[in-house]
Amino acid sequence: MINCFKMFSMDSRLLEIFLNSFTRILIPGLLVTIPLTIVAFFLAMIIAVVVAIIRFANIKILKDICRFYVWIIRGTPLLVQLFFAYYGLPKLGITWTSPFICAVLVFAFNEGAYASETIRGSLNSVSEGQIEAGYCVGMSYLQIMWRIVLPQALRAAFPSLMNGLIGMVKDTSLASNITVTEMFFVTRTIVTTTYEPLLLYLEVALIYLLFSSILSKVQTVIEKKLNAQVGK
Amino acid sequence: MSIIEIKDVKKNFHNLEVLKGVSFNVEKGEVVSIIGPSGGGKSTLLRCLNCLETYDSGSIKVIGEDLKEIKDMNSFRQKVGMVFQQFNLFANMNVLNNCIFAQTKALKRNKDEAKKIALENLQKVGMEKFINAYPNTLSGGQKQRVAIARAISMNPEILLFDEPTSALDPEMVEEVLNVIRSLVNKGLTMIIVSHEIDFVRDISDKIIFMDDGIVAESGSPKEIFTNPKNERTKVFLRKVIRN
Ligand SMILES: Nc1ncnc2c1ncn2[C@@H]1O[C@H](COP(=O)(O)OP(=O)(O)OP(=O)(O)O)[C@@H](O)[C@H]1O
Ligand SMILES: [Mg+2]
Repeated sequence: MINCFKMFSMDSRLLEIFLNSFTRILIPGLLVTIPLTIVAFFLAMIIAVVVAIIRFANIKILKDICRFYVWIIRGTPLLVQLFFAYYGLPKLGITWTSPFICAVLVFAFNEGAYASETIRGSLNSVSEGQIEAGYCVGMSYLQIMWRIVLPQALRAAFPSLMNGLIGMVKDTSLASNITVTEMFFVTRTIVTTTYEPLLLYLEVALIYLLFSSILSKVQTVIEKKLNAQVGK
Repeated sequence: MSIIEIKDVKKNFHNLEVLKGVSFNVEKGEVVSIIGPSGGGKSTLLRCLNCLETYDSGSIKVIGEDLKEIKDMNSFRQKVGMVFQQFNLFANMNVLNNCIFAQTKALKRNKDEAKKIALENLQKVGMEKFINAYPNTLSGGQKQRVAIARAISMNPEILLFDEPTSALDPEMVEEVLNVIRSLVNKGLTMIIVSHEIDFVRDISDKIIFMDDGIVAESGSPKEIFTNPKNERTKVFLRKVIRN
């Protein structure tokens, strides 16, 4: 421990590497990791809501397709899904213009499956009576779902969905394996030239930690707002 | 033509015969109360009247429409309001929006008109001071009064009540019953399932006594309460009046 401390304070070369690499890692963080997360998460939410509603409403055939999708995604590793999509699918004629797009879609479908389960659970937690009350004032099923059930379900699911988002920020590091030049990819490149794995992996970990901490903070603030809104 | 015509309606839940041939009519503007022991099919019948439940045989006509042949279910349901035992307010909307929402979405009223109507009705039920409150901050009695305001904001022709005071603490029962009383004489047809015997005796034009899936007896409050003919009615009344 003391050794480690000395190493940082005394070695100006390490300090220089640390500072130089900081922006080199942070920039792909801001330009790749974060956009990848945001776009994939946004798509994941759309997929999740659609899948959850199809399963909640018990729509024939579609319901079975959705169940199959969730089963496959939850039953296989994310890393395998990435490799399958990026290296495997081209053999079937599906080619990617960039690894980034491939990663966005894989993360979206992956998170979409998990989030759909969360949202489905929350849909079930909204009382059946409110749906009936909606019918009794002449609203259609879709109006009731969209304006009454879904808002309450998303509110209830919010903490879990945010968990998913924070998880996704970290999981994007897996995309380095399919040559997406996100933070971890860049870090690995720097390590191969500087031979300072301890310092650099610690550094990239700190940046991930920073991103997740910001998101946690955002989560707390929004949760407070949401609760205040319904008088909790 | 009666506003509600129920003819020999039967319904099963799986193997359980819940309605065993129910028939009666309700005239426009009448207040009809349904009483009877638990499990007798009162809620089921009421829920058939606005198609929350389907029936197996017989026929029901409501406002001239055969329920098996309704083309536009949403506009039919706008004419038949319902007040539930569990209130069922929309939890994600404040009191005012609970009363406005369906007016703008289903009746396509413009926002200002809907708001005006909602405020009038909230005043009628004494909840105008709570327009910004969310349902989970209200007492049971307050929730039920909002639910009534929400229902009448749709200007229904028929209003169904399924035990509107059964989930309330005793001290809140009266405030809700008073609101329901205030709705009488407005040309509104009401069907009320309730165990509040004094209330239904007071308010009803007609009493239906349902037991075990049939209408065991029906008549004016006077006939039913002072001179019941059916043995089961007598037993039931003895029980509830003693309580
Ligand atoms: N969705 C359902 N599935 C199966 N059985 C049901 C269902 N709804 C009601 N039942 C049964 O039908 C019978 C009649 O129920 P209903 O709720 O109509 O009675 P009720 O007269 O309203 O009684 P209460 O005074 O307790 O409200 C009961 O035995 C009940 O258990
Ligand atoms: Mg009942």
